[in-house]
Amino acid sequence: MTVDRRSMLKGAALSAFAFTVGGATSWLTLREAYAQSVPLNVLTPTERAALEALGETLLPGAREAGIALYVDHQLSVDPGDCLLAARVANVPPPVSNFYRACLGALDRAATAAHGMPFAQLSPEQRNHFVDAMRQKVPEGWTGPPSPFFYLLARMDAVDVVYGTVEGFERLGVPYMPHVSPTSKW
Amino acid sequence: MAIPEKVDAVIVGAGPSGLMLAARLSEAGRKVVVLELGPPWEPKDLISSQIWSRRLKWHGANQLEGRNPVAHNFNAGWGVGGSVIHQYANWPRLHAEDFNVHSAFGRGLDWPFSYDVLRPWYDRIQNEVGVSGDHTREVWRPAGAPYPMPPVKVFPHAERVAEGFQKLGMRVSPAPVAINSVPFKGRPACVYDAWCDAGCPIGALVNTFVTYLPEALKHGAEIRPYSNALRVLTNARGDRAHGVEYVDTRTKERQVQMADLVILSAFTSQTPRLMLNSANDKHPNGLSNSNGLVGRYIMTHTGASAFGLFDEDVQNYMGTSAAQLISQDGYAKSSKRDFIGSYTWMIGAASKPNDFTGIANTQVPLFGAALHDYMKRASKGLVKISAVMEALPNADNRIVLSDRKDEYGMPIARIIHSLDEDALKLFAHAREEGLRIMHATAAKEVWAPPGPPALLHFTGGTPMGKSAADSVTDGYGRAHELANLYITGAGLYPTEGAVHPTFTLHALTARTADHLVRNWGTIVA
Ligand SMILES: Cc1cc2nc3c(=O)[nH]c(=O)nc-3n(C[C@H](O)[C@H](O)[C@H](O)COP(=O)(O)OP(=O)(O)OC[C@H]3O[C@@H](n4cnc5c(N)ncnc54)[C@H](O)[C@@H]3O)c2cc1C
Ligand code: SF4
Repeated sequence: MTVDRRSMLKGAALSAFAFTVGGATSWLTLREAYAQSVPLNVLTPTERAALEALGETLLPGAREAGIALYVDHQLSVDPGDCLLAARVANVPPPVSNFYRACLGALDRAATAAHGMPFAQLSPEQRNHFVDAMRQKVPEGWTGPPSPFFYLLARMDAVDVVYGTVEGFERLGVPYMPHVSPTSKW
Repeated sequence: MAIPEKVDAVIVGAGPSGLMLAARLSEAGRKVVVLELGPPWEPKDLISSQIWSRRLKWHGANQLEGRNPVAHNFNAGWGVGGSVIHQYANWPRLHAEDFNVHSAFGRGLDWPFSYDVLRPWYDRIQNEVGVSGDHTREVWRPAGAPYPMPPVKVFPHAERVAEGFQKLGMRVSPAPVAINSVPFKGRPACVYDAWCDAGCPIGALVNTFVTYLPEALKHGAEIRPYSNALRVLTNARGDRAHGVEYVDTRTKERQVQMADLVILSAFTSQTPRLMLNSANDKHPNGLSNSNGLVGRYIMTHTGASAFGLFDEDVQNYMGTSAAQLISQDGYAKSSKRDFIGSYTWMIGAASKPNDFTGIANTQVPLFGAALHDYMKRASKGLVKISAVMEALPNADNRIVLSDRKDEYGMPIARIIHSLDEDALKLFAHAREEGLRIMHATAAKEVWAPPGPPALLHFTGGTPMGKSAADSVTDGYGRAHELANLYITGAGLYPTEGAVHPTFTLHALTARTADHLVRNWGTIVA
C-alpha cells in the first residue's frame, strides 16, 4: 500500500480552498480570497480585525496571506478535519471558543491599556503590547493565558506565510512534496 | 443495539500493535475484528505539508493537569494505521540496564524479564520491517544482530554538530532508524525530503501501510473504522472478557462485538480510560483494577534542545524527521550523578519552516520584522540537537476518569502529570551539555531554551510486572484478573529508558503474538 512517487508529483502545488463567492463555489488561494474580500463564516468583523492586526504584528504579510480566512475556515470544519496548531496543543474542541475568548481578551486588554481595541492601536503600540503579552498576562486580559495565545496565533501566521509552497520558495528552500497539497483544506 | 456475529478476537485500536496482532492471529486462522475510532487513512492522505499533518493527530478532549501536563495530541494519532503513520522512525533499542531500575536503584519499577528475553524479538522485527544503522559504531547498543540496512545519509547540518561532540571527546554514531537507506523488500529507499512527520506515502519508512495493515487484510482480518469502543464487557463471574461495546461515529448506532479474546491496543491514554469506564459489579474500580494501578505510573520522555546558527547553507532542509546521528555517552544510569536517569542525544533531524518543531518555533520570542530576518537566516543555517531523557515512574502520575463526558456519554481521560526532581535535574544537565556541544561547533550563535522541558513520548499507565500486586499485566500483557484480556503498546512499560518507544513496542507485541498463537487453546478455553 504505497503511492507511486511520480504520479504524486504531477499537478500544481497549490493550496486552494473552496470559497463561496456570489453564490458559486470557487477555488481560491488564501491570498486570492483575501484580495476578493471573501466574508468569514465563524469570526465576527471585530474578531477578524483583531486577528488580522495581531497576525500582521506577529509576522508582517500574514494579513494578506489570509490568516483570518485560514483560521475561520478551520473553525468551521469538523474537529477531526481542523488543521490549526491549536488542535495539536490540546485545545479542546470546539476550538472556536478558544479563539473567541482570546480575541475578546486581546481587545479588552488593549482597551484597558490604551482606550481602544487592538486593531486601532498604532504599529508601535501593537508591538509593545505583543511583546508584553508574550511574556505575561496583561492587565484586563481574561481567558486563556496570553503567552499561549501568542504562541498559537504566531504559529497561524507562520503557517500562512511560510508553511506553503509559496512560503518555501520565499525562503529559497525546496518543497519536494510526495503528495502535493492540491485538494481543499 | 445490534449484535454482530461473535469472532475469535476483537482488537481495539488499529495502530501497529493492534494491527500486528490482527495479522498474526488471522494468519493463524483466527477470525479477527479491529475496531478503530478514526477514519480509514490511505497513503494518499499523507499530504506533504506540516499544516495537513495535523489532520492525522488526535483531536478528542482530554483533561490535562499537573505541573507538567502531558503533550498528548502531539504524540497521538487516530485512524486506521494509528499514530505510527506519521512517526519519525527513530528506533533505538532499550539498554539492558533499563529493565531493572528498581532492583539497581530502589526507584521506579522492574520489567518482568531482562533484555535477553526481548533481544531475539528486536532482531526478528528489524529484519521483518527494515531498520538502518551500524551496530559496530553504535557502541552503546546491547547485543543483537546487525541491522539489515546500512546507515542513512548524513547531511552537513548533522556533520557540523558532530564536530562539536568530537571536540568534547564525545562519541557519535549513525542513528538506528526504521527508514530504508537502500531499497528493502520491494520498498524504495528514502529520498531525504523530510516529510516523515506528514507521513511517508512511498513506503521508505516503517508505517502500518507497508507492514501489518496489508498483512492483516490479506489474512482476512476485518478492520472497522469509525468504531469508537466505549466499554469492555465481562461474563457474569467477571473472570473473562467477552466483548466490546462500541458506537459507530457516523450513524451513532451502538453495537457489541462479542469475542473469545479481547485486546486493547488503544494507546497509552485510551486503554486505561476504557478499562476504568468498564467498571461493573465484579470490577467496581474498573477492569482488573483491584490493586488500583490501572492508569498509574504514566511517564513521558522529556526533551532538551540546543541550537546553533551558521552563515553557510548547512542543508538543514534535507534528511528525515528522524536523527541522522546519535550519542549515548550519557546513557548509563549512575547513583554518582545527582539524578537517576538516562539520555540520548539526537543529532541532525531536518527542519521545516513551520509547526511545533519547525524553524520559527526555535526562537519563540521573535516576532515582526525580526522573525522574518530570522527565518531567512535559519531556514538554511540552523543546526539543532535534542536530548530524549528518561523520567522515572511515579504512581501519582496517573489517568483517571474525568467528570466531563464526551458526546457519547463516556468520561474523558483526566491525565495528571508532574515531573520529579530527577527529571528536572537531568533536564538542566542535558541543557548545559547541549550548550557546551554547540559552543564547540563553528556556529555563529548558540542558544538553548531555558525550559520547562518539552514532553515527548507517552508511556506507562498499564505497567507489566511479575506480581499481580504491583502491576496491571503479566509479561505478555495479559490483565491479571481476566484470563482473556490483553493489553499492548507502550502503556505496558514499567520504565521507559531514554529511547523512543516503537521498536520495543514492536518487539513486545511480536512476542505476545507468538504466545497467543501457540497457546490459543488454553487462553480462550
Ligand atoms: C508525530 C509522531 C512522531 C513519532 N515519532 C516516533 C519515533 O521517532 N520513534 C518512535 O519510536 N516512536 C515515534 N512515535 C510514536 C509511535 O507512533 C507510537 O509509539 C506507536 O504508533 C504506538 O503504537 P500503538 O499501536 O500502541 O498505538 P497507536 O499507533 O497510537 O494506535 C492506537 C489506535 O487506537 C485508536 N483508539 C484509541 N481509542 C480508541 C477507542 N476508544 N476505540 C477505537 N479505537 C481507539 C486510535 O485512534 C489509534 O488509531 C511518534 C508518534 C507521532 C505521533
Ligand atoms: S524523508 Fe524519506 S522516510 Fe521521510 S517522508 Fe521522505 S522518503 Fe519518506
